[in-house]
Amino acid sequence: MSDPILEVSDLTKHYGGVHAVEGVSFTVEKGSITGLIGPNGAGKSSVLAVIGGFIPPTSGKVRFDGQDVTGQAMHVLARRGLVRTFQIARVFGNLTTIENLLVAAPRQKGEQLAGLVGGRGAWRGQEEELVAEARETLKTFDMEAKMDEPARQLSGGQRRAVEIMRALMMKPKLLLLDEPMAGLSPSLSRQLEDVLLRLVADRDLSLLLVEHELDTVERICGKVVVMAQGKVLSEGRMSELRLRKKVQDAYVIG
Amino acid sequence: MGAWEFYLVVLLVYFGTDLLAVWGLNLEFGVAGVANLAYIVVVAAGAYTYGVCTLGPSTGNGGFQHYVGGFTLPFPLALAAGSLMGGVVGVLIAITGLKRLRQDYQAMAMLVVSLMAATVVSADVNFLNGNAGLALIPNPFKDWDPEAGRWAYVAVVGFCVVLAWLVMRRFTTGPLGRTLRAMRDDETAAAAAGKDIVALRLLVQFVGGCLGGLSGALLAAFIGGWSPTAWVYIETLAFLSCVIVGGMGSDRGVSVGTLIVAILILQGVQFLPQVEGHPGLSEDFGWIILGVATIVFIWTRPQGILPERRPKYAGP
Repeated sequence: MSDPILEVSDLTKHYGGVHAVEGVSFTVEKGSITGLIGPNGAGKSSVLAVIGGFIPPTSGKVRFDGQDVTGQAMHVLARRGLVRTFQIARVFGNLTTIENLLVAAPRQKGEQLAGLVGGRGAWRGQEEELVAEARETLKTFDMEAKMDEPARQLSGGQRRAVEIMRALMMKPKLLLLDEPMAGLSPSLSRQLEDVLLRLVADRDLSLLLVEHELDTVERICGKVVVMAQGKVLSEGRMSELRLRKKVQDAYVIG
Repeated sequence: MGAWEFYLVVLLVYFGTDLLAVWGLNLEFGVAGVANLAYIVVVAAGAYTYGVCTLGPSTGNGGFQHYVGGFTLPFPLALAAGSLMGGVVGVLIAITGLKRLRQDYQAMAMLVVSLMAATVVSADVNFLNGNAGLALIPNPFKDWDPEAGRWAYVAVVGFCVVLAWLVMRRFTTGPLGRTLRAMRDDETAAAAAGKDIVALRLLVQFVGGCLGGLSGALLAAFIGGWSPTAWVYIETLAFLSCVIVGGMGSDRGVSVGTLIVAILILQGVQFLPQVEGHPGLSEDFGWIILGVATIVFIWTRPQGILPERRPKYAGP
């Protein structure tokens, strides 16, 4: 078996006296969809925030794609292929839907010195390719009709889709999704599940999913990590976990 | 040359220099979302730099004013130096806002920088002649026939405005403009999309500072002097008002805003009848109109007169 795409070891995060994360270790295998579940306040979002470079850990290590990336800034990790989405979808409200995708494309010539000096001619070719790619992605999510609308006019579910599409434009190796199904209707969330499964099958992509919808987790995740009170409680397939007493207890108590 | 022709020259020079400053502030605030309430400091940096670059050593003229420098440089070099100094000071201001501050705190921090800079310059008489400011800053065309010299100066300002437009558009349009607007809309999401927020902020505050510095240098050379009363913090709000009324993030919009706010309102009030015993009343009235206009726009038309437009991609 090849090395895992993500390896979290003995991660700790304290906010003042609050111990949000307490010695968490787990791995995400290449090409897998791994779930991270647990009751509210278990520390899932803190773990995700540390992995994504949003906040530094108090101690512990994060290895991504074979390298130690602990404490690196979010934009640096994003460029390396470790991309996150947010619990409450964040879009660039005054940009159009397609622009929200285009802006995320890495290594744009028009953002660099060459583009500034050379002007339109230096980046037009690349831009046309990116527009074609963004159109294709919009088609996958059935949002072509919205492409020229300002993103602030989109619904909650559409914003979530924009966030995921934006992440895909960055050609990520690992996507961290923070409750992607929250607020989606059952049919929309089934659609999103299909899309995620297809993405992992088609691309060189792995997913780490924080999710409260356990049915979704059971349907699409291979390995599932259960957290409670800042620690890893259990690990395994969802169908097995459902039977374990301590997992049931954690959910009842939580 | 008639009085009206002279006044027209004044208006054209003011309009040109105001445009440069408003474009710079629009790049920082309207496009990139950096609420730089210290913007007038970069204008002042350009003006003072132009002054001390073109004036001779401060021991001349009987030593009635004291300042650093005194390089007697030709005016194109002094303009470039003023612009560059604006950029450097812009970067220094940017550094104060870099620490993960929320936008409203950033605005406050920068306002304080503006007040501190004015206090320091006023207090230190040997640095830039304190409260009295610099006088006798030479006009580049002082040896010309006065009328030809004035129009030549208008031409210089016009040339700088065209040049600045071309440079500024490289930053506000295309992929870079898109990235800066994304940073304005949501800084955290922009970082998650791989954008280096620190580098982008330093970049826009450098470029915005160069535009403001050029504006100040051109103005100082035209007026022939520059003192702390020319750059009180409220001047930043006048530029901000041009941006808001015209249309945040819209290059054409803020240009129209400059014409309306900086010229029609702030110059137009000069034509109001003087009230005996109340000197300066008409200028105060101008500030009141400006304030009211800004509030009315924020309430009823926050997108401004000519709103920012985004490119369309739908279709074949």
